[in-house]
This record gives sequence, structure tokens and C-alpha cells, in this order.
Amino acid sequence: MKNALAAEWLKLRTVRAPWGLVATIGLMVAAGALLSWLIVQDYDTSPAAEQAKFASADSSVVITPVVQFLVAALGALVATSDPRLTALAAVPDRKRLLAAKTALVATTAVVLGAAALAFSIGTSVLIMGDRPPPIAPWDGLGDVLPWAGAAVLSILVTGLVGLGIGLAVRSTAVTIVVVGVLLWGLPAITPMLPDPWNMDASAVMVPYLVWEVAGIVDDAPLGPPAAAGTLIVYVLVTLGTGTVTLLRRDA
Amino acid sequence: MIEVRNLTKRYGDTTAVDGLSFTVHPGLVTGFLGPNGAGKSTTMRMILGLDRPTEGEALVNGKRYQDLDHPLRHVGVLLDPSAVHHGRKALDHLRWLAASNGISGKRAVELLEQVGLGGVRHKRIKTLSLGMKQRLGVAAALLGDPHVLMFDEPVNGLDPEGVRWIRDLMRGLAKEGRTVFVSSHLMSEMALTADHVVIVARGQLVQETPMEALTRNGSLEDAYLDLTSGRGL
Repeated sequence: MKNALAAEWLKLRTVRAPWGLVATIGLMVAAGALLSWLIVQDYDTSPAAEQAKFASADSSVVITPVVQFLVAALGALVATSDPRLTALAAVPDRKRLLAAKTALVATTAVVLGAAALAFSIGTSVLIMGDRPPPIAPWDGLGDVLPWAGAAVLSILVTGLVGLGIGLAVRSTAVTIVVVGVLLWGLPAITPMLPDPWNMDASAVMVPYLVWEVAGIVDDAPLGPPAAAGTLIVYVLVTLGTGTVTLLRRDA
Repeated sequence: MIEVRNLTKRYGDTTAVDGLSFTVHPGLVTGFLGPNGAGKSTTMRMILGLDRPTEGEALVNGKRYQDLDHPLRHVGVLLDPSAVHHGRKALDHLRWLAASNGISGKRAVELLEQVGLGGVRHKRIKTLSLGMKQRLGVAAALLGDPHVLMFDEPVNGLDPEGVRWIRDLMRGLAKEGRTVFVSSHLMSEMALTADHVVIVARGQLVQETPMEALTRNGSLEDAYLDLTSGRGL
């Protein structure tokens, strides 16, 4: 397992595409910080009545969906970028290969997610200073941590979902399209469903599950444990399908 | 040693390999010959556990390939030189293969020099010529200093110098007592390289014999065409 993991790590860092994704995450985090600064500038020059209507200037809320997508693309690359023939000739024990890929994607997703969240929340706090709610959404560290934890969990989940779909469909392009539909397409459609399906369906969409896991939505259909369980179901279904495909199908 | 026993592969109603049995012995270059679609590549893929046999088994040194600990130290493989990530540098390609089987990265550098690719080790694979990719595939096969080597059409894309180089390499590996199993469509090349031949057609064994016995009364090409005429697709 140690050798397989070392090989997967070497494979990931010796091609350009993953570094492009990491650079894009960095750019998005920087853009989020700029957005926070612009919102605060606008807030400071607005009358008090207008200031009360401002949305949060925390950029982590904006960048989390983007990081979810980029990490899912990274998972897709780990699954699909190297020809299966060569990968399986080197590591013919398919369970070991799967375990190495899963460990690599999980670790990379958590590191990238935690770094992106820490930087964006940190810069947002510095930019917002001691300004009051609603532009400063958090009362303190105890308020921030559930959101940050939920966001990192969702990034981990989307990375593994990307890996699972990639292993199942064996195409980077198709995987990225399916991930895009899961993260952005379906959540845009579910609110248009008839009542009460709209609420039920929206409650299990990834973007909404992040808020439910954090427990910071009033009257949320799902509590944090149920929402976290739903995220895990996403992983079980996609990675389970990818596992069956890898274990049973010819290379 | 490679032992293929009653190996069968069916895709729906199509039988690609049909009850194939033969043995590839150490110390010899064994040529694997047959018309297009005869099941040569499928057989090689089943030996490597890439495709699952419908029936039968293929063993390398008495074990299934997927049960070998550090398989690249036992078996060197060149199946498809284009089955690589073309955006990766040549040295990095060998380094990850080495890492996957606990082989030192220094071995990758040595081998690139040995196959004549030392000067392009930091070039991305997509910039290499077909012949260079073939040499890189040979380097990958030799990475674990294996006792069994399998080459599928190894001289494709090589210039005359490269063809002679790979012929001498395979002959040398067999002389060291290694098992060398090579498929090729080039009869003249096989006649110069192989000591023993396994001929298949329509997934079935047609002939397994020493090269000498096959070419006693004529060329390998004549003997091959006599044996396989009417057995193509």
C-alpha cells in the first residue's frame, strides 16, 4: 500500500493539470479576498439603513462551491488521467490501487479545502475588522468552526465523488460534466419542483447540505447528523459504483 | 516461466481465445505469432491479469500475475508504448513505475541511459518520437530487472538500428536465462530473434515448436502462411 500510494502521489505531482487546479483554487481564494474588501468599502460608504441590509462579506461562502468543483476535478484526474493498462500492470492488486487512489484524493481534498477555508476566513476576518453583523456573519471562533468543518467535509466528499465517477465512467470530461450537474445543475432545478418536493429535493443537494451540516440554517429540513449522513451517501453511491467497475471490468 | 492452461476468453458470442495451452520456457526467446485478431494481445492481457479469463488460467513462475508481490520485479511488460500519460516527463514516468514496486529511482536514470534516452529524460513524452516511446517502454519493462519479459510488437516504430538493438537485447536477456515472450507480425525479424514459436489462429493453438523444426524446409514466412492459411478472420 505504501508503494502504491507513493506512486499515485508521484503520478499526481508530475503532470501539469493538478497544479493548474491548485493555482485556480489560489486565484479564487485571492479573488474572494478582493470581493470581501470591495464589499467592506461599499459598506463603509453606505448610510446606516443600507448597512443593515448588507450580506456577509465572508468570502469562504463564495469560494467553497468553486473549491468543491475543482477538487472533484482533481479526483477525476486521479481516476482517469493515466491509462489503466499501465496502472494495473504496475499495481495489479485492484483493491490496493483503489485504496491508494482514495487515500490520495481524501488527503489532498482535506489539505486543499482546509487551506482554502483558513485563508479565505482569515482574510475575511481581517478585512471585516470589528464591523458588526450582518456584514460580519460570525460572533466568534465557535461560530466559524462548524461552518468551516462542514465546508471542508463537503470538499472531501466532492473529491471522492469525482474519483468514484471517474473510475466508473473512465473519462475525465464526462466525470467533470456529471460533477457539474450534481453541484450546480440539479441544485438550480430542484427549487422549481412543485411543493413540497422542492424543499425535500433541495435539502439533499450538496450546496444546501453544507449549511445543514454546519447547523446554521433556521428550520433546515435536515439536522447536522442527517445532512452529514446524506453527504456520505453521495460517496457510497459514486465510489461504490467506481469500485465495482474497477474490480470487475477488464482493463 | 509462463504457463497458459486452457485459457479462454469470450465476449458475448465471440470467442477471442479458445482453450489455449502452451508454456514459455526460460533461456529462450519465444515468438508469439498469429494473424490479426488471432487473440495474441488478449492472451497477453490475460497473462497480466488485465482481462479476466472466461476459463482457464495463466501463471507466471507458478503464480497469477496479480498475486505476485512487486510484479515488475518478476515480469517486465511492453504492451502498448502509447499507454502512458503524454504530459509526463520520461524520467518521471519511470520513477512512478519504480515507486509502485519499491524499486530505487536511480535505476530509472540508469535505464534511460541504457536505452539511449538519457538526453531526453526531462522531455515530456508527447515530444518523443514513436521509436523513443518504444525505447521508453523497453526501459519500463527492464525496471525491476525481471526474469520474465513480455513484449508485444516491440520493433514497431524503430529504425533499423533500433530493430537490431532490441533483437540483441532480447537475445541477450534469453542468454542470461530469462524468459522472453514476444509477439510480432514481422516474420523475418522473428526468424532472426526467436528460438521457439507459438502460433495461434482464431484463438486456438496451431503450432508450438522450436524455430529450427519449423524452418527446416523453408522460410518462417512460408511455414507460417501454410499453417495459418484459411484460419484468419
